[in-house]
Amino acid sequence: MEKRLTLVIAVALLAVIGLLPVLAMVGSSFYISGSFSLKAYQTLLASSHEYALLLGRSVLLSFLASALATAVGVPLGVLIGKTDLPWRGTFGVLLTVPLLIPPYLTAVAWGTVVGKGGWISQALPPATSDILSTAFFGLPGCTGVLFTALMPIVMLLTITYVGAVNPRLEEAGRLVSRWPNVLRRITLPLIAPAILFAAILVFLLAFGEVGVPTYLRYPVYPVEILTQFAAFYDFGAATAAAIPMLLVTLAILTLEYRLLHSPILELKAVRQGARRTQITLGHWRLPVFGIVLGWALLTVVLPLAVLVIQSASPSAYIEAFARASDSIVRSIAFAVIGATALALLGFFCGYLIHNRALPLWRSVDALALFLFALPGTVIGIGLISLWNTPMTNAIYGSPAILILGYLAQYTVLPMRITAATLERIPRSLEHAARLCGASWFMSLRHIVAPLARRGLIAAWLISYVFCLRDIGISIVVYPPGSDTLPVRILTLMANGAPSLIAALCVILIVVTLLPLGVVSLWLRHGARQS
Amino acid sequence: MSMIEFRAVSKVYPGRRAIDALSLRIEAGERVVLFGPSGCGKSTVLHLIAGLVTPESGDILINDELVAAGGRNLREPEQREIGMVFQDLALWPHMTVSENIEFGLRARKIPNKACQKRVRDMVDLVGLGDYLNVKPGELSGGQQQRVALARVLALAPRIVLMDEPLSSLDDALNRQIRKDILRLHGELGFTLVYVTHNRDEAQDLGTRIIHLKSGLIDSAFNVGHVD
Repeated sequence: MEKRLTLVIAVALLAVIGLLPVLAMVGSSFYISGSFSLKAYQTLLASSHEYALLLGRSVLLSFLASALATAVGVPLGVLIGKTDLPWRGTFGVLLTVPLLIPPYLTAVAWGTVVGKGGWISQALPPATSDILSTAFFGLPGCTGVLFTALMPIVMLLTITYVGAVNPRLEEAGRLVSRWPNVLRRITLPLIAPAILFAAILVFLLAFGEVGVPTYLRYPVYPVEILTQFAAFYDFGAATAAAIPMLLVTLAILTLEYRLLHSPILELKAVRQGARRTQITLGHWRLPVFGIVLGWALLTVVLPLAVLVIQSASPSAYIEAFARASDSIVRSIAFAVIGATALALLGFFCGYLIHNRALPLWRSVDALALFLFALPGTVIGIGLISLWNTPMTNAIYGSPAILILGYLAQYTVLPMRITAATLERIPRSLEHAARLCGASWFMSLRHIVAPLARRGLIAAWLISYVFCLRDIGISIVVYPPGSDTLPVRILTLMANGAPSLIAALCVILIVVTLLPLGVVSLWLRHGARQS
Repeated sequence: MSMIEFRAVSKVYPGRRAIDALSLRIEAGERVVLFGPSGCGKSTVLHLIAGLVTPESGDILINDELVAAGGRNLREPEQREIGMVFQDLALWPHMTVSENIEFGLRARKIPNKACQKRVRDMVDLVGLGDYLNVKPGELSGGQQQRVALARVLALAPRIVLMDEPLSSLDDALNRQIRKDILRLHGELGFTLVYVTHNRDEAQDLGTRIIHLKSGLIDSAFNVGHVD
């Protein structure tokens, strides 16, 4: 009974926090000043050509980012997850860094290099420099930044799934054919649904991105929604404009859901110490290593180095702390609270999905994924639609609204991590505890949670990172005087000195990556001791 | 002339020695059963013959050609002309029966027409002519066994390795497939290395039974058969 009740409460919370705002937003788009009206949609249709153009740009940008991320992420995932490439563990971590920081930080770094007056531009003839700068502040620049920032999603999913393919299937192929053919005909077709899922996720995340297009001044649909809301204070127009994004996300996810649930995905849960097939690169080992190293230096080390170099003066950091120390503290506090709440809600939802403990487990999974794929601005507008009332102003006017936003958008992350972690724990262990007379909570506390400790810590960390890097929700709902660091950086970009912006970017990267580094060292130390 | 020869071959997995300086000769056309308890190294011997794992030390010869020596494989698995039926059969679930059998033929660049004829012959040989365009998941356990056999035999391998392929079948089906294996061995004359811990299977299928214990040969004896 306690198990069922707890899980029902978790599902109800997700529905109230995530689904209700979306429904409230759809509802409120039909009302102006309390009475039914289609005026917002009439206004939208009156400018339909302009909106269609923006939507087309968004789709094109997302498609290009997704195609490139897949083209690069899959080979990298195979190389890191399946071959004897030197430093593959280090590459796996290093190439994931762009996903952990807000993508617009990468844009800022590249702007310093190829933008007008940038390092490379200064060395080029003015005409060439202009062409380079124009390309960067446009579709090519946006595509490049988003593709490198989101590529780790494809890479990580490829690493995970190539490692989970039943090795017998590949060995049976290896008896008659070389590795490239086995990869092409057996491994990659088997994990094709996962690759498609990754590509779609990249598409949807690029589709909802506001930070990069705002910084690179490339007008796309979500930026227009934000402009309607933040610049013109036209909430009705923003709400109506958000509906097409909601529909596009829903349509793409429905398509993905049908494709992904194909019965041919024959994967095994990978257990520690399990034997995996490995591709020996032979004489290709060093050339491939060189290519991957070059890629990591270009897309990860160089942008980070640029920010560090540009901010390398005490005055930049003194000014950064003077102008944003309150935002830094707030960001960390909100991220810690958000991650803790997310880890808790995600744990119960993950348990529900892993054990299929309630009949609607599939709907919970789909809802959480849908909310993650929904642009942050749309969720933000939904939260305002639901909570901006005199009765609920205590929540709307406080940082609690930000925490609700994080819970709405990111629950899928700890939920899926928990479900994957529980996959590795034999269910009989929990059953044995129950048979010994332990209550459900007791068996969770003393058996499941300790065994799933590493996964739960990972879930908390990933949640912390995503709360900290959030901009889509934060920029729409942050209460007056409670902006977060990513929002403060975006605001200061308009008139702040480049060294100040770079210093703030470095601070944001440090507070994002430092806990990750500390905890992974601690976990590694613990694993070595045990 | 020996078809398979192990000279003091050792294989170590993290934390345990699977094979310990094992020496072994298997003649062409023999049916050898590797018999013994779980973890005694039976499957490791098959994986070493196939080239799916690398020995730490010792030499492995196939058809008198050195294929592994000095702690590395000198011949890749696909160059050894070996077929293997895995314990879980390892049928590719995204391919039809026909595509499963064709895969190896196409990898060897066999012309389309010859390829199709070979597939047809194989499914007829194992009695699955009506199931060419069916995916493995839609077949019964016995039918899947036959597809796995057909996939292996399509390439006319000199050596067929079988890693407890019948362990999941009921007694009647197990006996039927054993008969099929003996019939196919009689018709095609390959060298068979069969791993099992089932005494009946070992006695039925082996002309020689090798009992392994802790990675070493504990005993070996020939079986008198009236085939």
